[in-house]
Amino acid sequence: MELKSKRIELGNGIYLNLIQTDKFKSNLMSYYFIRPLNREEVTMNSLVPLVLKRGTEEFPTSLEIEKEFESLYGASYSSTVNKRGERHFLRFTVEWANEEYLNAPGQNLNVVKMLRNIIYNPCLENGVFNKEYVKQEKENHKNRIEGRINDKRSYAVDRCIEEMCRYEKYSIYQLGYVEDLDSINEKNLYSHYQNILDTSRIEIFYVGQFDEALESYIVEQNKIEREVIVEVPREIITNTVKQKNMINEKLDVSQGKLVIGYRTGIPFEHELYNALLIASDILGGGPNSKLFKNVREAESLAYYVSSTILKYKSIMIVDGGIEFENYHRTVDIINKQLEELKSGNFSDDDMEISKKAIKTSTESIKDSPFLISEFFLSQIIAKDNRSLDEMMKDFETVTREEIIEAAKKIVIDTIYFLNGNNSLEG
Amino acid sequence: MKTITNNRINEKILYEELDSGLKVIFMPKPGFTKKHAVFSTNYGSNDNVFIPIGEDKPLSVPEGIAHFLEHKLFEQEESNLFEKFSKMGAYVNAFTNFNQTAYLFETTDNFYESLELLVKFVQSPYLTDENVEKEKGIIAQEIKMYEDNPKWRVFFNCLRAMYLNHPVKIDIAGTVESIQTINKELMYKAYNTFYNPANMVLFIVGDLSFEKILEVVKKTERHFDKVDDTDMRILVDEPDSIKEKTIDVKMQVATPMFYIGFKDNELNLIGEELIKKDIITNMILDMMFSPSSKFYNDLYNEGLIYNSFGAYFTGKKTYGHSLVIGESNNPEKVQERVLELINKDPSENLLEEDFDRLKKKNLGNFLMGFNSVEFIANNFVDLYFDQFNLFDYLNLVESIEFRDLLTRYKNHLRPENMVISIVRPA
Repeated sequence: MELKSKRIELGNGIYLNLIQTDKFKSNLMSYYFIRPLNREEVTMNSLVPLVLKRGTEEFPTSLEIEKEFESLYGASYSSTVNKRGERHFLRFTVEWANEEYLNAPGQNLNVVKMLRNIIYNPCLENGVFNKEYVKQEKENHKNRIEGRINDKRSYAVDRCIEEMCRYEKYSIYQLGYVEDLDSINEKNLYSHYQNILDTSRIEIFYVGQFDEALESYIVEQNKIEREVIVEVPREIITNTVKQKNMINEKLDVSQGKLVIGYRTGIPFEHELYNALLIASDILGGGPNSKLFKNVREAESLAYYVSSTILKYKSIMIVDGGIEFENYHRTVDIINKQLEELKSGNFSDDDMEISKKAIKTSTESIKDSPFLISEFFLSQIIAKDNRSLDEMMKDFETVTREEIIEAAKKIVIDTIYFLNGNNSLEG
Repeated sequence: MKTITNNRINEKILYEELDSGLKVIFMPKPGFTKKHAVFSTNYGSNDNVFIPIGEDKPLSVPEGIAHFLEHKLFEQEESNLFEKFSKMGAYVNAFTNFNQTAYLFETTDNFYESLELLVKFVQSPYLTDENVEKEKGIIAQEIKMYEDNPKWRVFFNCLRAMYLNHPVKIDIAGTVESIQTINKELMYKAYNTFYNPANMVLFIVGDLSFEKILEVVKKTERHFDKVDDTDMRILVDEPDSIKEKTIDVKMQVATPMFYIGFKDNELNLIGEELIKKDIITNMILDMMFSPSSKFYNDLYNEGLIYNSFGAYFTGKKTYGHSLVIGESNNPEKVQERVLELINKDPSENLLEEDFDRLKKKNLGNFLMGFNSVEFIANNFVDLYFDQFNLFDYLNLVESIEFRDLLTRYKNHLRPENMVISIVRPA
């Protein structure tokens, strides 16, 4: 099955993407608001979805909203805020069981209306957000920001990126900052929310079954006249490292978390980018990778160790969980394996295996309504017109020489180690 | 070969028991790209005392042995199994929980070749003193990764507070100390006792042919002596009472986390009765603690809980518990409020209008689950070992009456069965 998206411009910077398929028992609809990633608005951006979830004009409390979603056969609503490169994305999604299985005509339309109401028709008080809701959600959000320390693996990766990119916008934490919450109130947050609606690029997705009536309803509902849209410039990609960083942070933990950040300088638009993805997979993609075989299987140093590429910044991250005292040994092995990759020390099988792994995960996108919408979004952001099948074909043509060439551009930037309080290492 | 069709959700399953006693179950998913196979044995961390096959005395094995065995089955005499699967473009994995050990792979291509690999490796253990020793370092890092995970700690401490003897209170992977005492002889005993085909199920979902699947399995499977009585487990005696009311520890977290547990005393149910109890209890908990409950909204508005608050019931034949979980700066206060709530008359907490809405929610969620081959495989196998067919779920939900909830409420949510586990910031 070849996936097709019908893209309709509904206004200045507002696009509707319709992907019709009867493969699933559910439908999915998402709104993405795309903002620049910067310190001035990151905390407010992250807070807005929490406040919107508290009440709409029609259902002014969370309790009523929750009950309504349950009545809509457990329609599942979610919102997230995250960064991709130096863009900040606010996502509002609902996924629901398709009406034909429920004998519930009108279900699809009702869910679509509900999602729009949450985003566009919030419960107001004196023309701004409800004061109490904002106060409570600030507290809730503070807990979320501080809670990033709870998951040590992702905390360590975040901290490595923060240190590595400290002079770039990309270092900004996607949920914002506790100290920036103080100055936020129901008035300035509401005016920022208006600003989000008026000036963001908006991408709307619908994946699943719909008829003409529903389509024209969605089109009419989202046609909005707007003036200036904030466009976010493409990130600067470099592999020049002026000064290497070594960060040793101490916490009361049982396991050390090692994270190494590398610059590749290969932007995703570049012809070597596919080769870079394969190079990273050979190094630390799956259980056949160099890191898995050498750090885990041969030396028993780690349970997890892997390598990934961050698309919009062309950064490679290697991370693993190890004993504190094995820090130097592990760093040495990782360095050595990267050198092996650069000098072409990998088999044709390794190359084929990585290509297949990437093909399988690319192809699997077709089985998930959410991944389908995320795929089309990522193609739009990257201004990439290729279909899934074309992308898979492009991976097949990558050569050994290109992989080596890409690998040679990988330069170490930052080594971050989350260390134990009582450890003598470092 | 048997076929079970469910017209309501427009799905069917095909089923055959082979001469070896192995059950092969297939659910066709035409149009899906991903193909998923899981080969699972009804043997998990709970089965740590048993009579080894061919012996007559009970054997108590070290904590973590089922999980250790799961790791070691990936070891092959002359070839690298990960590499073989990777060459097929298949992603292979495994997990161990309280009640089962499952080996699975997912692929878009070369399904039948990968299936052959799966059946072969699970049925041909290759354990040596060296390869067992080597794995101890890797598993120790896996254990330490969990030790640093506050959610895991607060969960297991809650189980430890509830249970005196039942092995559900022990860590699935064991401890760094307990795994040192594991050796190949003990693992072979466990393997021979629990990996008999009669104790296992092979579940497959995807766009595939059942005839071809059966052909591959029959050609590949190893001959085992058929055993009639596969239940070699020795059950420990677990009193109705709880072990201790409170376990309170410190860790590197931002906000205190809590698990309030209610130990279940209505045990020894299996099949439909067990699943019915599960659904009823979860409906009660939804009415009392979900975001659509008054209690949730009251505590949220008072700032006592965050949006991570929730509750669920989980249980098998020999154990069960309801867990009320969340984060709070004052977990004791939350516990007090829970106590007040459960002391109320059931008519105040359970409302018939909520009941109808929750049934709708259950129906929608069930349908949505059928989009995911992983959801289907995991739930089907889990329920299969409980002697229940996933397809009967909807009818069972519909057969539940409101008064079933009232009875269960009184018997289950009792102050004397309540414990609390807390993890506070260090």
